[in-house]
Amino acid sequence: MQLLMFYIFGLGAVLSATLMVTNIKPVTAAMNLIMTMFFLAGIYVLLDAHLIAALQIIVYAGAIMVLFLFVILLLNVHEKEGETARRKVVIQFGSIAIVGSLFIIIAHLAVIYPSAVKVITDTAYEFGTTKAVGKMLFTDFLLPFEIASFLLLAAIVGAVILAKRRIDDSE
Amino acid sequence: MGIPIGKLKPKKVRKNIDLTLWERLYIFEIIRGMTVTTKHFMANLVGFVLHAKGKKRNIITVYYPEEKVELPPAYRGRPVLVMRENGKERCVACGLCEKICPASAISIIAEENENGDRYPASYLLDMSRCVFCGFCEEVCPKEAIVMSSEYEGLAKRDRNDLLCTKEMLLRTENSVKGRIEYIRRIYAKCNY
Amino acid sequence: MAANLIESIVKILFIFSVNIGFFSPILGWVERKQSALMQDRVGANRADVCGFTLIGLFHPIADAIKVLTKEDFIPEGADRLFHTIAPFISLTPAIITFAVIPFGGQYELFGHHVNLIIADLDVGILFVFAFASLASFGSVLAGWSSNNNWSFLGGLRASAQMLSYEVVMGLNIIGVIMVYGTLRLSQIGAMQADFFNWGIFLQPVGFVLFFTCAIAENKRAPFDVAEAESELVAGYFTEYSGMKFVMFWMGEFLEIVTIGALVTTMFFGAWHLPFVSDQMLLNYFRFAGPNGAASLAIVVNIITFFSKVIFFIWLQMTIRWTLPRFRYDQVMRLGWKMFLPIALINIFITGVVILAK
Repeated sequence: MQLLMFYIFGLGAVLSATLMVTNIKPVTAAMNLIMTMFFLAGIYVLLDAHLIAALQIIVYAGAIMVLFLFVILLLNVHEKEGETARRKVVIQFGSIAIVGSLFIIIAHLAVIYPSAVKVITDTAYEFGTTKAVGKMLFTDFLLPFEIASFLLLAAIVGAVILAKRRIDDSE
Repeated sequence: MGIPIGKLKPKKVRKNIDLTLWERLYIFEIIRGMTVTTKHFMANLVGFVLHAKGKKRNIITVYYPEEKVELPPAYRGRPVLVMRENGKERCVACGLCEKICPASAISIIAEENENGDRYPASYLLDMSRCVFCGFCEEVCPKEAIVMSSEYEGLAKRDRNDLLCTKEMLLRTENSVKGRIEYIRRIYAKCNY
Repeated sequence: MAANLIESIVKILFIFSVNIGFFSPILGWVERKQSALMQDRVGANRADVCGFTLIGLFHPIADAIKVLTKEDFIPEGADRLFHTIAPFISLTPAIITFAVIPFGGQYELFGHHVNLIIADLDVGILFVFAFASLASFGSVLAGWSSNNNWSFLGGLRASAQMLSYEVVMGLNIIGVIMVYGTLRLSQIGAMQADFFNWGIFLQPVGFVLFFTCAIAENKRAPFDVAEAESELVAGYFTEYSGMKFVMFWMGEFLEIVTIGALVTTMFFGAWHLPFVSDQMLLNYFRFAGPNGAASLAIVVNIITFFSKVIFFIWLQMTIRWTLPRFRYDQVMRLGWKMFLPIALINIFITGVVILAK
């Protein structure tokens, strides 16, 4: 059952990602990206990582993709831009193939050298819950977490400054 | 006479909207507004379920085909001819209404009876042309044509149906009494 | 296993029939009738069956027949695919979110553990947010795919508004999560058995902000700039007709129900009567035997929960028919410059109070 679901989600993710890359229409491509996010969230659910799945949908599908769509609609991106992309279809498929083969190589390496990868097996049930993730974030990975939050803060301040300056210039 | 000028001063209206802090918080003003609407809602809800007979209800809607509005005498509905006691029209076919009608909706053919009195042999009122101005009523020396309060039956599928003959226009004096009294008040006619 | 399956199916059918079968048709009638009563009018009362009008309750049926027989129109130059799926995208989240909202406690019925919630997820609130945030795609795509300037403006406004209010709503939720210490909605509900533990006492500011943001998220007056009739005809669903148009409305009505249910769950004691816990209910109904007591308690839970939900539906309707529409810049200013700081301060104060305890 789980394997079947994994194949459905995985196939859907790959298919919609391919469609996203090859589509001419920007809005269709964006919607396909959302589909990919959804399938990825499904895979996370299969891995018992409910929190990550929910965050995946909230942050990527809900917030970032709405912004993407917003920008696409506001800038009125035409299909022409998509057509130039289509000419590079070889490059696209080439890059997909390269990244995919890299992934496979890494997976094989992980199998060959199991000590290189940290696999969490003992806390299988607790693993994906909010409590477990929160505890990990605020104990083992506190420093990366704080650094990431600082980075986000810097990004927010930068965005405010950029937007502010433009308003001042126009006056 | 008239209203003294001092009284004509308009009521003081707060034009600049300089809200107080209380109003700026907005939430209390929202609650105030919602109490007003809720009061109406509750009163009408109770009035809806336990509607006391004979009591004037708050809801102002008129259920049209079942209920009808009582129109004031100043309402100008379709023009009608007033009957005498003997069932004949009051009209003497003087032709003033025909003359004044801005839409040329009236056409009269006059005749004399054996007493030598004039009467309209045919009085045609084309309702498709009538503009409900009430001039005919104003000029009529005999109070023979008045604007009744009828507003129904003015829509037909055929224009020819809107051509009203004398018989279709005749109404008893009682049915337009209010209007006759009203025109006596507003048009100071020479014969009254 | 079979008992679990039957339980799930019964619960799903119950929620589905309550939402689709009861709330979504009746709310159209409620909206008309309540606005009428608030404005001293009568409201819809003309549809009748054999002379009985039942204070206009046949209007939903008449409306359904009307919309089903209407032409399904796709305008020239519209994107056919997205024009078709946009209403589905905006309706689905409204139905799905009810899966994680508890409508009763946990009981032992015929030796089987019954939990009155369809999916007791560990990330309940986040699930609701995840799907609420997807609803904005429906309006954006509807606006974009209609090939109409009014629709397009409506879609843009809708997306910007929903995006900004989602942020504030999320920050409000953090206060609730901090107080109850869990994301699981059934647990949040269970912790409100004590009357003074209700969310409204622990998070009063959070309640006001959450309710306001939820109304803004639902794009109803006073935040209905996205479908402002006087400015944008009908906003993002100008070009929709027939059943697709009704799907937008059903989505909106079901979101009203969802907002009512969420507010009830998080701030108004979920399925609990004031001062009455589930155990006390079971004690009251001891005379009916253990199974009878449990089923009676379940019925009381469900009735309590849905009465609260209906109260909040009424409150939202009252707000909708009382307040005038905000201007677009006012909506944005309210969201980013007033609600966001207040929500952050609320989180800060909540944290300080929790630490001080």
